[in-house]
Amino acid sequence: MTTVYAEVGFYEPVWIQILKALVIFAVGLQIVPIVLLAERKLLGRFQNRYGPNRVGPFGAMQPLADIGKLLWKEEFRPRTSIQFLFVLAPIISIITATATLAAVPFGNVVDIFGEPVGLYGVDLNIGILYVFAFGAIAFYGIVLGGWASGSKYSFLGAMRGAAQLISYEVAGGLAVVGVVMMAGTLSLTEIVEAQAADGLWFVIPQFVGFLVFLTAGFAETNRAPFDLPEADAELVGGYNTEYGGGGFATYFMAEYLNIVVISAITATLFLGGWLLPFGIDPPTWVDPLVVIAKIGALSFFFIWIRATLPRLRYDQLMSFGWKILLPLATINTLVTAILVVVW
Amino acid sequence: MAPVFFFIAAVGAIAGAIGVVALRHPLYSVLSLVFHLLSLAALFLLLRAEFVAAAQVVVYAGAVMVLYVFVVAYVGGAQEPMAPSGGLPVRILSLFVVGALLVELLIATLGSGLSAVGEEGAAYAPGFGSPAEIGQLLLTDFLLAFEVSSFLLLIAAVGAVMLARRRGGVDDGEVEGRISVAQLLSPEGLGSMAESVSGRSGVKDEPEGRS
Repeated sequence: MTTVYAEVGFYEPVWIQILKALVIFAVGLQIVPIVLLAERKLLGRFQNRYGPNRVGPFGAMQPLADIGKLLWKEEFRPRTSIQFLFVLAPIISIITATATLAAVPFGNVVDIFGEPVGLYGVDLNIGILYVFAFGAIAFYGIVLGGWASGSKYSFLGAMRGAAQLISYEVAGGLAVVGVVMMAGTLSLTEIVEAQAADGLWFVIPQFVGFLVFLTAGFAETNRAPFDLPEADAELVGGYNTEYGGGGFATYFMAEYLNIVVISAITATLFLGGWLLPFGIDPPTWVDPLVVIAKIGALSFFFIWIRATLPRLRYDQLMSFGWKILLPLATINTLVTAILVVVW
Repeated sequence: MAPVFFFIAAVGAIAGAIGVVALRHPLYSVLSLVFHLLSLAALFLLLRAEFVAAAQVVVYAGAVMVLYVFVVAYVGGAQEPMAPSGGLPVRILSLFVVGALLVELLIATLGSGLSAVGEEGAAYAPGFGSPAEIGQLLLTDFLLAFEVSSFLLLIAAVGAVMLARRRGGVDDGEVEGRISVAQLLSPEGLGSMAESVSGRSGVKDEPEGRS
């Protein structure tokens, strides 16, 4: 039997795939502490204070100290909690966040050691659906964490998180449909190539979709102003109230990894992925750096919004999602569909 | 490699399905159903049906099971595990139904399915199972089924709204604290106490409050 491999992209030797997985894992996880430090420093600046500046030069070792502190803490578990699910929930969160990272394209196919290598983990013909599939599983990380804690604050946070995730997933998914229709493909690398062919990033023709997707991204990562699941003023800490030490560190890292992934997906879908503006065509080794720079810029935007906007009330969150965001995304999809057919 | 994955996913699917009926706690039943659905998605992946696998995870493991988890978590049942209900007649009836289902499945498998199980397996054409191909099939060969099922979903959605309205779930009147697009674009009040109490702009309400 002749083996036919996936027709998107091409088949690579196993050692290259393992190497790629390691490199993407390492690079992705290096961005997380940088975003963490940037958030604390920038929040300090936004609030007219210094932010962390004691550990290492300019406080650069602060993430290391944070993680070290968390890992040396006692692993405490409430008596009412359910051990199996209590341990499993943060693991689901971190696995889904890491798995999504595999779909992010950092560049097109290049030659490394004489082998053609795609600068991405996987290039699937379902592309963006892969991301949504893992987003759907990530829901269980939050809900099980809150439910298994056996605490009312955790439970309320988990229920809020669940309602919020499914509400905004619909709008986010519809916002992507516009991009998919314009590119004519679901594959993330081909979406970037479609933007290169048009010479126009999809943020311009799909501006409404961009806004809706970014807003839904804020909600999906439980970030301010949509951080209702962990609203500390009313819910202590939401779904991760009862977690300390390693479990909390895992949730924390999953949240920041999600920010990185959502930034990367937004950059890929709407901001031209590894492309540079004004038709500048750099050598291929610049491509991953461009993607990382765009991830950095979007992560900065996430932090900026957190420092600027207050938290929404819960009913406002829901009515905003269903009555404003969803109709906007639907109209955007319809208009795009008509325009794609007419042109 | 593929046979290993197949057996892991198949054992997972069967274990999940057994767990759904065998576990006493409702939430554990729901979770094992999720596990079952994820195992099925893995089986779809082995069949190179990536789109179906993703749809399975997004729609079933994601959207549908979320509602199950919601209901179980809200309604509770955590304190009182499900007890086997019904007397002897119900059990005999259920055995009968299960037997009928087994016979039906055996007829279906032995009648048609086994002819595809050869040494080679079905031929794989490039593009098979891709979103483009599925879309093409849905809008040509299976257009009628596709449209009819979309009507079914529309009817279900309208019916849900009607039921919610009859029970007073959907409020026709002015909802307190409703926000509009205009309000979001230009916030009139800046978070005053009166605004938070009335749910509207604080400036306009102030004279009424004094009188």
